[in-house]
Amino acid sequence: MASVGGGSKETLTLNLYPMLDIFSILIVFLLMSYSTDPVSHDVNSGLELPDSVTMVSLDELPAIVVTKSEIFVNDKKVVDVVNGEVPKEQLGESYQGGIRPVYDELKRISEANKRIVAATVNDPAQLGKSGALTMEMDKGHPFKLMKRIMLSAQQAEFVTFKLVVTRVEN
Amino acid sequence: MRRKRKGIKRQDMTDIELNIIPFIDVFSMLNTFLLFSAVFVATGIIEVQVPFLSNAPQPKEESQRTLDVKIDAAKDKIQIITEFTKDPKNEQKFDFPNTKDGLARMHERLVAIRQANPTQDKLTLFSEDDVIWDSISAILDSAKFRKQTDPILAVKNEKTGAMEQDQQFLFPKIVMGSVIL
Repeated sequence: MASVGGGSKETLTLNLYPMLDIFSILIVFLLMSYSTDPVSHDVNSGLELPDSVTMVSLDELPAIVVTKSEIFVNDKKVVDVVNGEVPKEQLGESYQGGIRPVYDELKRISEANKRIVAATVNDPAQLGKSGALTMEMDKGHPFKLMKRIMLSAQQAEFVTFKLVVTRVEN
Repeated sequence: MRRKRKGIKRQDMTDIELNIIPFIDVFSMLNTFLLFSAVFVATGIIEVQVPFLSNAPQPKEESQRTLDVKIDAAKDKIQIITEFTKDPKNEQKFDFPNTKDGLARMHERLVAIRQANPTQDKLTLFSEDDVIWDSISAILDSAKFRKQTDPILAVKNEKTGAMEQDQQFLFPKIVMGSVIL
């Protein structure tokens, strides 16, 4: 009977080459997936995105994130969301159907962007341009909530929205 | 007397093996780091615009007779409304159920509208408040993006003004009409 005890003179060696092969392939795959996506972004665990056949990649991180229970502007929690709506007491001094705290945050960002553009761009046509905003929203929320956020952004001079979706095959 | 050879003596030679353990260590660390930082959900964007008021003078194109294409989305129904900006307006309405099959038929209708009016690349979407974002994104998908089986359509280049073939879009410009003061 074969034994691995001290009496046996056989030496057992583990063949590590197949493991090295697997590691190499895995590293190549992971490095390749890094290089293809311009912006890699972890979707917030509190939200589920709708599917889309879009081929347009995400080019900047979302400024507005609407989870099932909260709205964040640049990672800062602004208001709560209850059953797809912002509670009335948190709407603030409602500005034309928008959400006041969201508007205030976006206005601050818009003003900061304007200052940067004014300091770096000389073309007057560029100075007057309205901004674009990337928004990530849970797929179960009603359009009423999206409209409120868009109205708030519109007041803060953001008129183009990049709505984040999960990409699926066409 | 046999001369001693310089270097390794034949009788002392044992099997030479490359020590691959440090190599495996590096690979393991690299794999762990890459797997932890990898994002496995591919995200994309759908770009839309909201209407805004501007003091700029109206572009000349507005005075031409062009086709307005609108979509009215409700929870259970989608309606396409086409109307020319000047007389004869020829208003037409097409109803579809807000289902997968209905969206496919809506897409076919939009392709036909776009083929008949190649310069019209803008569409306005109106939605009722209770329609969920999942449903709106499906409508946007059908209206904005071209399927592989669709004919290739022309899109106006904003910089040059020339018509160019577009493999990706059906109606590249979508305005959320409901988002207005």
